[in-house]
Amino acid sequence: MIELINVEKHFKKPIRGKGVWGMVKTLFSRKHVVVKAVDGVSFTVRDGEAVGYIGANGAGKSTTIKMMSGILTPTAGEILIDGKHPYKSKERNAVLKNIGVVFGQKTQLWYDLPLTETYELLRYIYDVTEADYKRRLAELVELLDMKPFLDAPVRTLSLGQRMRADLAAAMLHNPKTLFLDEPTIGLDVLVKRNLIEAINKLRDEYKTSLILTTHAMSDIELLCKRVIILDEGKILFDGSLDDVKHMFGDKRNVTIQTAAPIDTAAATDKYPIDGVTAEGDGLLTTFTVDAQKLKIDVLLDFLLKTYDVTDVKLSETGIEQVVEKIYERNKAAQALDECGDEAADAERDDG
Amino acid sequence: MLKELRLYPKYVSMSLRSALSYKADSIIMMISFAVSEIVSLATIYLIVGTVPTLGVWTFETLAFLFGFTLVPKAIDHVFTDELWILAYRAVRRGDLDIYMTRPINPLFQYIARTFKWDGLGELLVGIVIMCVFAPQAGIAWTASGVIGLILCAVLGVFCFTGIKLLFASLAFWVKNAGIFLNTVYDLSNYAKYPVRYMGKAFASIMFFVIPFGLFLYYPVECLVTGASIWWSVLWSAVAAVALMTLSLTVWHIGISRYESAGN
Repeated sequence: MIELINVEKHFKKPIRGKGVWGMVKTLFSRKHVVVKAVDGVSFTVRDGEAVGYIGANGAGKSTTIKMMSGILTPTAGEILIDGKHPYKSKERNAVLKNIGVVFGQKTQLWYDLPLTETYELLRYIYDVTEADYKRRLAELVELLDMKPFLDAPVRTLSLGQRMRADLAAAMLHNPKTLFLDEPTIGLDVLVKRNLIEAINKLRDEYKTSLILTTHAMSDIELLCKRVIILDEGKILFDGSLDDVKHMFGDKRNVTIQTAAPIDTAAATDKYPIDGVTAEGDGLLTTFTVDAQKLKIDVLLDFLLKTYDVTDVKLSETGIEQVVEKIYERNKAAQALDECGDEAADAERDDG
Repeated sequence: MLKELRLYPKYVSMSLRSALSYKADSIIMMISFAVSEIVSLATIYLIVGTVPTLGVWTFETLAFLFGFTLVPKAIDHVFTDELWILAYRAVRRGDLDIYMTRPINPLFQYIARTFKWDGLGELLVGIVIMCVFAPQAGIAWTASGVIGLILCAVLGVFCFTGIKLLFASLAFWVKNAGIFLNTVYDLSNYAKYPVRYMGKAFASIMFFVIPFGLFLYYPVECLVTGASIWWSVLWSAVAAVALMTLSLTVWHIGISRYESAGN
């Protein structure tokens, strides 16, 4: 079980002046701003659970994962993994034995040697017995389809192959929890899908808990039932993926490019009850629609017929839109609360 | 600690096999290290030819001192070369992340990763120079002298490593500590000459602040002047313990404030 209790992480950033003189001044100045990368985060992850930890770039996702995996020490608060602190030197090793970590942008594989060499070293580092190691490696090679590149030097692997290899490296010692930090970054759609399937197979097979960060909602849908949405170091939402979908609808964006500015009213007026909204400068216009209420092909058909369309792009709701939505909701709720308070005050006055 | 010792040969073999994929690179490095040391010895020869002899310090004696200073430097070079990368960019780029998520000492993993066998060229040059000039260096050789000198060389390795780790660890505060490490490391070149004659202030620094003079020059001075080598063994041991303790402490404080790098 993983527990985070009011965890904070602050970074000090020196205030830099502009130009060469500014640089010189920075050298001698002690001035800095404190950036709260993670600001009072608390949550609990049960054994076997899969959690998607999402947020825009700079929301504090990676910082949280790095604190849970022993890289960073929290400024305040406490992190307990099975009752032990991963950032305390006495408890470190006990925690790290039971976790596996994959960073999308870094590899723990030995660059010039075949994969098996790194695996062999990890076997010694984690004290895996030879029999366990052989059985497990065979299973992972099978699951992740790694046979074709098992003996090639790591530097010759493609990004997709390297990610699978890194995943296997993190799973060799049968960790209780697997941390994945942006595992799908830079992968094309097909390779991404394969990787996600592989992660799912691993989870089915080994019942590993999973904590995964990403800024793409679509990654999480197939992997996690629970999502934690983070923005500017604070938790905005912690609940099931179904709840998120329910709250925000299954929104799709259709962006069209036109030769001349268009009047979007034709579309928004035609489907008012279906909640079609338009946004853009007239040349590049994004229509947002709830896919449950209005079929996307109906809208597309209408748009193509009505306007002189030169280009079309379809996209899902991005995390930025979701975060924006949550803020709007929170603000509305707050306003409602204040109204309620005033009403209560008024009542009291009357009484 | 036992586990680390058991793991070390595995790291060395992996590092060597990694280096083998760039065979020509390593061989060129090895030759260039050796050549650059031989050239600096030639420089000493030229200098000694133009100035009157400084007491007991003839060219042969200076050459022997030169050879001795290369030994701890080369051995440290072979084992802890990765510290240069720590000083220059590992902290800034967040390279330490992967070592910190594994259940063994991160410093060990980091240093063990590189076994710089091209440093062996330097070591060989050092040993050959010592052997060639030992008979003419004006030293009355005894068994105790030889053992003492070997001990000084071993302790010197720890002193070198301590100084490198100390200044490389500054990277946790200043991000790029390479310039500091480079400057301090270059000071070790002055220990190839009789430090005692370099002016009181500088000699004091070389003996007591950044003690290259103490563990590189002083052992040979003891032998040449006929003083007991065991004094210098004692001083080298004191310096080694002090430097290792200090540098490990600074490393530990540093790593706890390690900030990784943003993604």
